[in-house]
Amino acid sequence: MMPVTTTATHSMPAANRKWSRYRHPESTIRFAVILAILAFLGYSITYLNIDLSRILGAFPRLVEILATRYFPPDMNYVSDADFLRSVLRTLEMSLLGGFFGVVCSIPLAWLAARNITVSKRIAYPFGRFAIMSSRSIHETIWTILFVTVLGFGMLAGTLALTVFCVGFAGKLFSDELEAIDMGPVEALRSVGANPLQVFQYAVLPQVRVAFTGIAIYTWDVAFRAATVVGFFGGGGMGWYLKRTTQQMESTRVAAILLVIIGLVLLAEIGSGWLRKRIGKMR
Amino acid sequence: MRHEKIIVEGRAQRGLPAKVADAMSILEVRNLKVSYSTGGPQILKGIDFEVGGDDFCAVIGPSGAGKSTLIRCINRLVEPTEGDIILFGQSVCPLNSGDLRRLRRRIGMIFQEFNLVNRMSVMDNVLSGRLGYTGAFRSFFKAFPKEDIDRALNLLERVGLQDHVDKRADALSGGQRQRVGIARALMQRPEILLLDEPTSALDPKISRDVMGLIRELAAEFKIPVLCNIHDVQLALETCNRIIGMQDGYKKFDGPAKGMRKQDLDEIYAMEVL
Amino acid sequence: MSITAAPVSAHGFDAYLAHKRRRRINNWLLVACSVALLAWCFWDTIMFDTDWQRMGGALGIGGTLERFLLIDWSLLPKLLVPALETLMMATLGTILGCVFSLPVAWFGAANVTPSKYFFYPLGRFLMVLSRSIHEIIWALLFVGAVGLGALPGILAVAMRSVGFISKITAEAIENIDPKPVEAIRAVGGNQFQVMYYGIVPQILPVIIGTIIFEWDINIRRSAIMGLVGAGGLGLVFFRQMAMFNYGGVTLVVLAVLVLIAIGEVISHYARKAVI
Ligand SMILES: Nc1ncnc2c1ncn2[C@@H]1O[C@H](COP(=O)(O)OP(=O)(O)OP(=O)(O)O)[C@@H](O)[C@H]1O
Ligand SMILES: [Mg+2]
Repeated sequence: MMPVTTTATHSMPAANRKWSRYRHPESTIRFAVILAILAFLGYSITYLNIDLSRILGAFPRLVEILATRYFPPDMNYVSDADFLRSVLRTLEMSLLGGFFGVVCSIPLAWLAARNITVSKRIAYPFGRFAIMSSRSIHETIWTILFVTVLGFGMLAGTLALTVFCVGFAGKLFSDELEAIDMGPVEALRSVGANPLQVFQYAVLPQVRVAFTGIAIYTWDVAFRAATVVGFFGGGGMGWYLKRTTQQMESTRVAAILLVIIGLVLLAEIGSGWLRKRIGKMR
Repeated sequence: MRHEKIIVEGRAQRGLPAKVADAMSILEVRNLKVSYSTGGPQILKGIDFEVGGDDFCAVIGPSGAGKSTLIRCINRLVEPTEGDIILFGQSVCPLNSGDLRRLRRRIGMIFQEFNLVNRMSVMDNVLSGRLGYTGAFRSFFKAFPKEDIDRALNLLERVGLQDHVDKRADALSGGQRQRVGIARALMQRPEILLLDEPTSALDPKISRDVMGLIRELAAEFKIPVLCNIHDVQLALETCNRIIGMQDGYKKFDGPAKGMRKQDLDEIYAMEVL
Repeated sequence: MSITAAPVSAHGFDAYLAHKRRRRINNWLLVACSVALLAWCFWDTIMFDTDWQRMGGALGIGGTLERFLLIDWSLLPKLLVPALETLMMATLGTILGCVFSLPVAWFGAANVTPSKYFFYPLGRFLMVLSRSIHEIIWALLFVGAVGLGALPGILAVAMRSVGFISKITAEAIENIDPKPVEAIRAVGGNQFQVMYYGIVPQILPVIIGTIIFEWDINIRRSAIMGLVGAGGLGLVFFRQMAMFNYGGVTLVVLAVLVLIAIGEVISHYARKAVI
């Protein structure tokens, strides 16, 4: 079959306007910023002395090490009663840390929510600062600090987790609070309710379900963190991880890691399921 | 087959030629059947028609008749199940993906919901009509050749958007967006235009403006047009040929001028028991 | 409302009351159980496990706290370079995390995955795995693989970021508007052009927002990678700790705070610039 030549003609008069993708200040600035970032990255790689070829090599190496040194996981070690007790204690710490963290972070989030805070001048910056500083410092550092002050044990771990949860939940809570419908708040304010009453009757009902979901999520994340606070003396199963790592008992480390991954997955599935159910109650 | 008969008889009664398309047909659709899933319901149940060099052909019919399916089959956004589509003298169905892309470059398409990339500028949306002709390197850096940029500027001027070249597509009104869609399609230097309800997201006044613009440009560039349209009045005003569809069959095919009320009633099944 | 509806609604009201009572009892039970559980946890972890004697009572704690509060400002000039190192590690880790996230997000997005039965579950699994292993553990694993230094720290940060970045990216890909993609296909664009012109512009703001968010978090994570010899503020922290120079420790913690605050300012402007 012969290809048909169509009648379409597309000639147009020459353009009398000019166009270029380049916009004077913006394009230059964007180009400069991208260049600066690339330069920073390049400088970082040389400064930190990073061999790029080793990055990809790291994964085969990791697999090889896992296969040779860490295999087979020493499952006897983790079915030991003492270890199982430490698992239980990890769970306890995460529950307590999550609970105290959530309890402390609700008032802080109230202060740190711009729309309903008690006073924009004092309370708002205070709330923001408290939440931001709990968030900014890694839970590991909190653990070490608390262990130094209070000694080894689960008290330090629980407190570290509490601070961690304050930072984590406080941000989510205050974001949630800043998104509420201000109608009921203004209505209650206009009838002369005090801030506490406003919070209880106009704000809490709007965010109760969301807060419950966030609280469960917080516990989930706290549990993940709780598995390692013991590494720095905070109690729980992390202590076993530290001991076996230091003594190079790789098969035991592997077993502990398996337990941790399994538990974290369980926690994640459980919290996901609970959150879904609570979401439905909305 | 029954429907075929009705059409042929109807045409004979009215003294119309049996074939509307003129000698050189750019698009031929032969016994086209489509179902979206194997064993699923057949959406098109055997369609035949031809589109010639100066046709501005409207496809009308009730919702669900399969108009969009028909249009989208022609550039194989929907895969035909049976039958054949011959475009520019070559069969569309057996093409491999590379050849299909080369064929699609020659087909301009304008969509009901404009299908612009909202976060890109008007200019980039129009230029993206040239992508089929642009290499990987140039398209990565959005460095289109100068003649493409000139043509884009020209087209934007023709569709009346010369003052919106650098706006983002989502900052435009519906009518303006469809004008961008028209410019993008014409950027391809298409040899046929496929329009899937180009005006049903627009208000009546703007719809008429947009259809008028499309007709004007199609006439200027001598591009045949196949156009799905819901607004029968607008179709009769704009187009010179009407294909009526119902329930997967072609029910009517003839010049817009010869269209009578009872033909419309038949297409829209007003009198069918 | 008809008159005959009255007894029916009275019956409904009784049922409603009973339902309400049942719910109240359930709620009370839930609260009581939670309180009991928490109380038991409290007793078991804190009262039982803590060595109250060794803590030395309020005085001992006060003494330690005092040593923390006497900030050792002489350390300040020595913190600039480590702070920069931490920032570098966070940035490299984030970039590397993005690179690793690309295939994971591609696999784990239901509408673009190469294979629904193999790659999709694999992608989803990698997302969960990345998030469920703590960065400390990732760091330990990578020390085993590549030895001490900045690299294991960066890799650990990167691996921990993969989960979040790729999850959000996959969700963004799943939620794209298919219409522009179809338009690019209709003009004859190839696979790459369809992705680059149809998909990328739609998901870019979400991805960049996520990357900035993750970068912020990664600053904090890199600040502890001194543990694996990765340098930066973490290393200074552990050194000061080992020297029992608690005033210096406080200063390092403050430095981390300042660094994060700077990061937050940068990300605020970066976010504004892209959206
Ligand atoms: N992607 C799809 N998968 C399965 N069935 C589809 C698909 N698209 C359309 N259909 C079915 O095909 C039939 C015809 O649809 P089509 O969109 O072609 O109708 P239409 O004539 O364009 O209608 P409208 O005027 O409302 O646009 C409908 O019954 C529809 O349910
Ligand atoms: Mg349609």
